[in-house]
Amino acid sequence: MNWDKDQSILLTQICTAVFAALLLALDIGCYWAASWFVLLRGLDRGSVWYFTATVYACSVFAWLLLWKLWGLLGSIKRGEIFTAENVRRLRIVSWCCVGAALLCLVSALYYPSFLLITAAAGFMCLIVRVVKNVFQQAIAMKSELDLTI
Amino acid sequence: MEILVNLDVMMAKRKISSGELAERIGITPANLSILKTGKAKAIRFSTLMALCSALDCQPGDILEYKP
Repeated sequence: MNWDKDQSILLTQICTAVFAALLLALDIGCYWAASWFVLLRGLDRGSVWYFTATVYACSVFAWLLLWKLWGLLGSIKRGEIFTAENVRRLRIVSWCCVGAALLCLVSALYYPSFLLITAAAGFMCLIVRVVKNVFQQAIAMKSELDLTI
Repeated sequence: MEILVNLDVMMAKRKISSGELAERIGITPANLSILKTGKAKAIRFSTLMALCSALDCQPGDILEYKP
C-alpha cells in the first residue's frame, strides 16, 4: 500500500479520535471501571473514590492534550508546520504530560503502581519537549531562509 | 555596524524599474523589495551575480560596509 502524506495524517487523526472516544467512555464509566479494578486487585473498597478522582483529574490533561494534538494535525494538514502556534501546542502537550505525571506521583501514595505511569508520562514529556525544541529551531531557520534572497 | 544595500542608487543610475529588474534577474518583486529595504538576512551569490550582470556593476557598488 502506497501511503501519501494526507493519508498518513488522516490515520493519525483517526487514532486521535479513537483515543478521544476511549477517554469519553472512561469518563462516563469511571466509577464502574474503578470498582471493577479494585475488585480485581482485591484492594480496599474505599480506594474506588481515590481511583475515580485520579482518573478524572488526569482526564482534564488528556482532553487538553488530545485537543492540542488535533489542532496540530489540522495545522500540518494545511501545510502550516513550523509555526509559533504549533510550538505553543507542543509546549502545552508537554505540560499536560507533566501534570499527569505529578498526579500519578501523588496517586502512588495509595497505589504504588501509579509510579510506572509517572515514569511513562515523564518520558513522554521529555520526547515532546525535544520535538518542541526542534520545531523552535526550525522556525528560526525558516525565518532566515525566507529572508535569504 | 551594518551592511547597506545601495540597490536603489544603482537602479536610479541605470534607470531601471523594480519590476523590470526583478524580471531580469528572476526573483519576485516582493523579494527585490526585501533586498532594497535592507530587510534581507542574506543574499545568494547567484542573486548577486544576476544583479551585477543586470546592472553592469560590481558587488561593491550594491553592498557597502558601514562601521
